[in-house]
Amino acid sequence: MTKNNEQAVLRLSNIDKSFGANHALKNISIQINKGEVIGLIGENGAGKSTLLKILTGIYQPDSGTIEVNGRQSKFRGPRDAAGAGIGVVHQEQSLFTNLTVAENIAMSGAGGAEVKARFGIYNWRKINKSAAETLSIIGSQLDPRTVVGDLSFVDRQMVEIARAIRVDTSKGGSPLVILDEPTSVLERGETAILEREIRKLKDFGSVIFVSHRLDEIMRNCDRIIVMRSGEVVADRATETVTEDELFKLMVGHEAHAKVKSHHDIAKNSQPAVEIRGLGRKGKFSNVSFSVHPGRLTAIVGSTGSGREELSRAIFGAEKFDEGRILIGGREVKSWQIAKAVKSGIGYVPAERKVEGMVGGFSAAENLTLTHPGKAALGPFVNPLARSKVAQGWFDTLDVRPNDIGQDLGRFSGGNQQKVVMAKWLNSPELNVLVLDHPLRGLDPGAAQTVNEQIKLACDNGAAVILLSDTLEEALEMGDEILVMRDGVVSASFDLATDNPSTLDLLERMV
Amino acid sequence: MANSQASALEPVNVDTVAIRIREKNIKTSFIARYAEPLALLGALAVLALIFSLLNPRFATIGNLQNILNQASLPLIIGVGATFVILIGSIDLSVEGVMGASGLAFVLMSANSRGGTDFGVWAFVVAIALGLVLGLISGVIYTKVKVPSFIVTLGMWYVGLGIATILFGTDTVPSLTNSELTTWGAQITQALPNVFWLAAAIVIAGALILRFTRFGRVALSIGNNEDIARANGLKVSNNKILVFVFAGGLSAIAGVIATMQLGMASATVGAGNLFLTIPAVVIGGTSLGGGKGGVFGTAIGVILLTTLNNGLILSGVSPNFQSAVSGAILVLAIVATAWSQRDRLRISK
Repeated sequence: MTKNNEQAVLRLSNIDKSFGANHALKNISIQINKGEVIGLIGENGAGKSTLLKILTGIYQPDSGTIEVNGRQSKFRGPRDAAGAGIGVVHQEQSLFTNLTVAENIAMSGAGGAEVKARFGIYNWRKINKSAAETLSIIGSQLDPRTVVGDLSFVDRQMVEIARAIRVDTSKGGSPLVILDEPTSVLERGETAILEREIRKLKDFGSVIFVSHRLDEIMRNCDRIIVMRSGEVVADRATETVTEDELFKLMVGHEAHAKVKSHHDIAKNSQPAVEIRGLGRKGKFSNVSFSVHPGRLTAIVGSTGSGREELSRAIFGAEKFDEGRILIGGREVKSWQIAKAVKSGIGYVPAERKVEGMVGGFSAAENLTLTHPGKAALGPFVNPLARSKVAQGWFDTLDVRPNDIGQDLGRFSGGNQQKVVMAKWLNSPELNVLVLDHPLRGLDPGAAQTVNEQIKLACDNGAAVILLSDTLEEALEMGDEILVMRDGVVSASFDLATDNPSTLDLLERMV
Repeated sequence: MANSQASALEPVNVDTVAIRIREKNIKTSFIARYAEPLALLGALAVLALIFSLLNPRFATIGNLQNILNQASLPLIIGVGATFVILIGSIDLSVEGVMGASGLAFVLMSANSRGGTDFGVWAFVVAIALGLVLGLISGVIYTKVKVPSFIVTLGMWYVGLGIATILFGTDTVPSLTNSELTTWGAQITQALPNVFWLAAAIVIAGALILRFTRFGRVALSIGNNEDIARANGLKVSNNKILVFVFAGGLSAIAGVIATMQLGMASATVGAGNLFLTIPAVVIGGTSLGGGKGGVFGTAIGVILLTTLNNGLILSGVSPNFQSAVSGAILVLAIVATAWSQRDRLRISK
């Protein structure tokens, strides 16, 4: 139709999809050209996932057409989409951690044809060579014989990308790689590598980049498509929009001004938590710091810096073998989770689904599990009071859908996280809150709500220890920043007096 | 254009930072991989040293041949059990399959009850019986989605039942061909024949696991079945094949055991399961699937067989034998799981 028809890798016209009464996609029309990096953003529930599932053949649209490389296509399943040149890197990694890089690449659906085992017998040399070739296309020098479980997250992500570009493009045209929140589990340095790779992908294909981090989207994408309530509300060249505009387009209202909850240390006040020379063999050693009530200390560090282990040791979820922990001035003995909870420590784990919640339990049950408050009558549960407590939190935190009886596993990530936070905030005696990547994978709207809760916890006198996703987050929210490297504290900054840049922090991380 | 220029201006040290982080992560994990088998071999050496100090008869050629002879059946069964456990399942039917195949073998060979001697077909039919029993377990397990634990527990008794029916009420059939009954214990090149067979099966098992699609898909299923399905792998078929494979190996073990016994017995396999499954786990194969291998199992089997042999030679009273070897098994399993207990704690 148009003159750039030739270079259109993908063209969607009037795609519609409903699930019962839920109109998930309304008349979606977009076009993606060769060599373009498209940012796709939207809150959870905006229809992004549905759209991606249609692109990858998992769902079929109710109406509308999909054209790939100028040919009208119908995907009956994931294999068809792969065959047409569309590869996905999923948010949750889909690699076999016990197999090698080469095998993982070879095992992917359509791409595995040329290394298919003859009589079922593997030709390792051929598999390794073919994988090395694919990896070199994306500029990765990973050894194909490495076991995936030994790789860092960013390298695993590279393997995923290698798999995605192995889609069958034999019929001509160029591949389209969909990166579904590829950076949500990456640390800063790793993200930089991935971004570099994305730029390389432009040489031979197109990219749809889905992310909740607007700064990343702005840095990496040529064009940004914003979805809200099943519709495309904006399709703009990156130069023509600002981050604030994007936020507004996604959420429907302005971003709240970012105000830090700042509390000075009151004179002669007791730190809520004090760590003295804490160490665990092979993980971290000689860590000392203290956090006063109402203050937030952010700990930054790369993978392997020991900050995760440290935060878990403070909560009693892992051992430490030297040093002392003082809570409210009193040293703890034979520390374990049950005691930590009793002394008013809360912990929001990074692995929300595994450690932070009981899937299959309702949101209300989850919320009142640890600190039932009024919801308990001695050993008994008072269902009416529980509903009241849960409903109160649901309203405060704007949890959607507003249904306290629904299985927590069925809420979206952001809303799950709100409930997990509320579980601890429900304790009137919350002294210390340990947060391990609380904003990981949350859309900006949900992230903002959780952020506000963290500030509120500070205002209410809790000391917060935050393991942030990004350095910017640490700088934005922290009163103090602790940098860890190889298990020791390599620097600390009091943000009231120091003003470190992200580069200052990075330099002390390695 | 503007974009690529902006990216070129990005500070270079960010990337080197990340690369250094990456190199560090790869290095640390390298040593860990060979620690486990080395620790096992170390344990075996310590065990051998202790027993040879306790009883000079332990470290004789005759006794070592004896240990390898005793280890052979668990080695053969262990290869199948390793595959089954690698896909995250369990096969408890071993002893039943052994009994059924053993009886089928006796009745089709020259035996004291008479009947026809089918020669090599006796082997074929006996092993085919094991394959079929494995196939039935595998199909029920994958198609009806019953836990393998329960299916094979039932199949154990089905196998024993088949053996009992074949046994009948007549006289006990025994093998009359002395070539068959003495083959296993005969020494070739300093090692018992039956051990050569077991070693060949172990090596074949390791090669299958490393070099065939069957083996690799089994490993990937154990790692993550959902991802395997999403990748279009034929998960159910592969699982069924694993049970067929294990059934076949149990049948071979049943035939060998019967040959060594010289006569038919429905319970010819008794005691093998108890030794094999712990040996697989001690050998480093994770009960959750996906991690482990055949050589680890082989070391585990030799370790446990040496333990049993050494306990007898050290004069532990037969009354205590069972309790002691049970307790030591539990200890060995605890020792094996010790390094993983943190991880276990996370996964609750």
